[in-house]
Amino acid sequence: MAVPATVQRETAPTETSSWLNRSLFTTGAIGGLVVVYLVAVGMVESFQSLNVLTDVLSLGRAMIIISFLVVGYLASRRLQRLGHEAEGPRLAGGIVAGAVAGGVSALVLLFVNLIGVEHVRRMFQSFTVNLVDNVLSFGQGVAFGAIAMVVGGAVLGLAGAGLALLPDRLRRATLTGLGTAIVVSLANTFIVAVFRNLESNFGLDIPLGWLYTGTGLAYSGLVVMLAAGFAVSWWRTRTPPEPEATRVEAMSGERSLLGLVRGRPAKVVGWLALLALLVLMPLIVGQFLSQVINTVGIYVLLGLGLNIVVGFAGLLDLGYVAFFAVGAYATAILTSSASFLGGPFNFWVALPLVVLIAVFSGILIGAPVLRLRGDYLAIVTLGFGEIARVFIASIWLQDYLGGAQGILRIPGPPLFGVNLRDPTNLYYIILAFCLIAAFVAWRLKDSRVGRAWAAMREDETVAEAMGISIINYKLLAFAIGAGVGCLGGAFFAIQVGSVFPNSMDLLVSINALSVIVLGGMGSIPGVVLGAFGLVGLPELLREFEEFRLLIYGAVLVALMILKPEGLLPEVRRRRELHERELEEEQYEGRVGEGAEPVLRAEASEDEEKK
Amino acid sequence: MTEQLLVVEGLVKHFGGVRAVDGVDFHADEQEIVSVIGPNGAGKTTLFNVVTGFYQADSGTIEFDKFPLTGLKPNRITALGIARTFQQIRLFPNLTVLENAMVGQHARTRSGPFGAILRPPWTVREEREITERAREVLGFFGDNLLPYEDMMAFELSYADRRRLEIARAMATHPKLLLLDEPTAGMNPVEKHGLVSLIGRLRDERGYTVILIEHDMPVVKNVSDRVVALDHGQEIAQGTYDEVSNNEQVIEAYLGKKKAVESA
Repeated sequence: MAVPATVQRETAPTETSSWLNRSLFTTGAIGGLVVVYLVAVGMVESFQSLNVLTDVLSLGRAMIIISFLVVGYLASRRLQRLGHEAEGPRLAGGIVAGAVAGGVSALVLLFVNLIGVEHVRRMFQSFTVNLVDNVLSFGQGVAFGAIAMVVGGAVLGLAGAGLALLPDRLRRATLTGLGTAIVVSLANTFIVAVFRNLESNFGLDIPLGWLYTGTGLAYSGLVVMLAAGFAVSWWRTRTPPEPEATRVEAMSGERSLLGLVRGRPAKVVGWLALLALLVLMPLIVGQFLSQVINTVGIYVLLGLGLNIVVGFAGLLDLGYVAFFAVGAYATAILTSSASFLGGPFNFWVALPLVVLIAVFSGILIGAPVLRLRGDYLAIVTLGFGEIARVFIASIWLQDYLGGAQGILRIPGPPLFGVNLRDPTNLYYIILAFCLIAAFVAWRLKDSRVGRAWAAMREDETVAEAMGISIINYKLLAFAIGAGVGCLGGAFFAIQVGSVFPNSMDLLVSINALSVIVLGGMGSIPGVVLGAFGLVGLPELLREFEEFRLLIYGAVLVALMILKPEGLLPEVRRRRELHERELEEEQYEGRVGEGAEPVLRAEASEDEEKK
Repeated sequence: MTEQLLVVEGLVKHFGGVRAVDGVDFHADEQEIVSVIGPNGAGKTTLFNVVTGFYQADSGTIEFDKFPLTGLKPNRITALGIARTFQQIRLFPNLTVLENAMVGQHARTRSGPFGAILRPPWTVREEREITERAREVLGFFGDNLLPYEDMMAFELSYADRRRLEIARAMATHPKLLLLDEPTAGMNPVEKHGLVSLIGRLRDERGYTVILIEHDMPVVKNVSDRVVALDHGQEIAQGTYDEVSNNEQVIEAYLGKKKAVESA
């Protein structure tokens, strides 16, 4: 593994230090504070009602348990980095850190009890008698609770440390199993709903009694899910990955007949399954989730459009909501009977006009910012987004755009008498346009136009020296980006049936940008995944009530730390962000071969190639 | 052969009070290799930047192939047939080696967004030609670039980055190639390779080459003609021997007199 190797280089000389060092206490204390935080914001008590394993383990307690496990794991890893490879000290370190974490939590528990819960409550509303006496002390008195914290912390710390000692593959499989079980237990309302839809729409009556009892997993369900997660992970990691070899083979164009036969069927089956899933989606997930998926689809359209501007051409546009607004309002004005035009067109006639208007508005907004780069461009476009909203809300244009009252009565697209307002039907239209938009983006990316954008993104000055007209290609990016993004606005107008100025706020721009950052800048599948994560996930987190956005924020932060390149990054982005690691590896390789590392580095590398 | 390809007359460019280029007369004949020398700040790179349209001249004329370049944008000038490299290597670091060479052909190709989306046969053909020609210019550098065509440009070694920059400039199908310190940071072996490469650029490709160079052995070996600039003005021109023995040139280089003679 590359990372520990580089870290060891820095820290290896401290091998004489004892395993019982300050890092264990720091890790433990931080872990303890995390537990205290989870308790103090009320998550632990609120989540008592959500069961991981019915009647045995609530999500509230599970969060504390996971925290202690993580403390033990991190402590053990830390010791390893400090040069303690032996199992004994690493396990003991886990116990110490876990006990410290438990101790910190226990101290806070005792302290709260000492002051009196009713006094603490004045400042920290989440501390209740139930929380202190039952949830944390198991109804056995606070002293018991405190001891249980310390002992439990130590035991779980040991378990976490043991996890760190497992071989990579085994550990990954174990964690996947645990993760699967927890996710399945929490998603029970959705899974039950999906199976109910399967029963009513397809006549598939699959009993779920073995999986869930009450609001959590049954024992049998737990075992099956643990095993399933473990098995899948174990199977996926079965052979050591050889990306280099396969890539070279694929690129050299040597496609043997055997390779064709071997490679294709799995792929074909996969695509067919995906297609079937996409077609049957509304029937499987039902009315409410179809609505959610339609919203996801709207953000896929916005993301794909913005991806052309930001991801391909490198123009950071923070006012993308302007094009969303153009799409929504143009659709409203052209189709609604409540608009000043009186709704002269139906949706299908209006759509090309909407796209044309959006393309024109893209050029209009693009033209004044042609000379701006980077941060300045971002600030000016941010302003344009706000201008669009203020413009729409203005009294001056109230007769045409409806002012604060917006425009109501936007009809659905007519299609052979089918009611397309229904989310389960509108889904298909949105899906079709998402596919078209993705196709357009994909084709553009790998073309002369796409290369010109990429060159412009990398170095505007040099791109110009290569014969690329910066003006034309910037305007083109804005125009196409607007043309794709306005579709999102158009479907938003249809889905809601009305448009208001306050739907057109900054948050739309931020969400659209977050979608492509989360998915991986410039990556088309990334946009889809990013939209699901960013727009779909909050809906799935509804069960967590007021903690929804807290968890959501934590997930986003964690994701950006662990995978800064996004969920499904482009190859080049991934390489760019891991450039330093690559260089470090090369550097170490050269040192290993005994070349003079710094001065002759370039020359020696050059000679190696020859 | 003696047709004048680039003619610069009375060129002036100043930044505030600094006259970076101060009335330079300069020309390059077809298929000629001209070295521009001069101490730091003599206005060499500014001259390049004005010729390629990055800076607008304050006065004076530039004619390329009898066509005035004044007021044209860099992309138009590239389309007319002038390509350049940069003093600090400026590749597109996160494009592959092949893509860098493909971008170079932008000015020589046509297809737009509709072609890209619908992929009619002529776009497919053009795309194939772009790839072929990109491979062809990479192939000009033997085994230095072609085997690494799928690597990101930033992954290349320093000397190969310099080579790729030249390859990218070649891909624009220029008549005139401006190289800004092509041997900077290279070791003697690589410099030697570059001298023969510049010769090949002229002999095999028919390019006219103007290079800015500090390394006197390179200048001596490669140039048909040497132009010396100082304080934005031409102080000498002629063969290497003539220029290197010119009083004014030696004075301009002052402490470097010895280096010039020993070369």
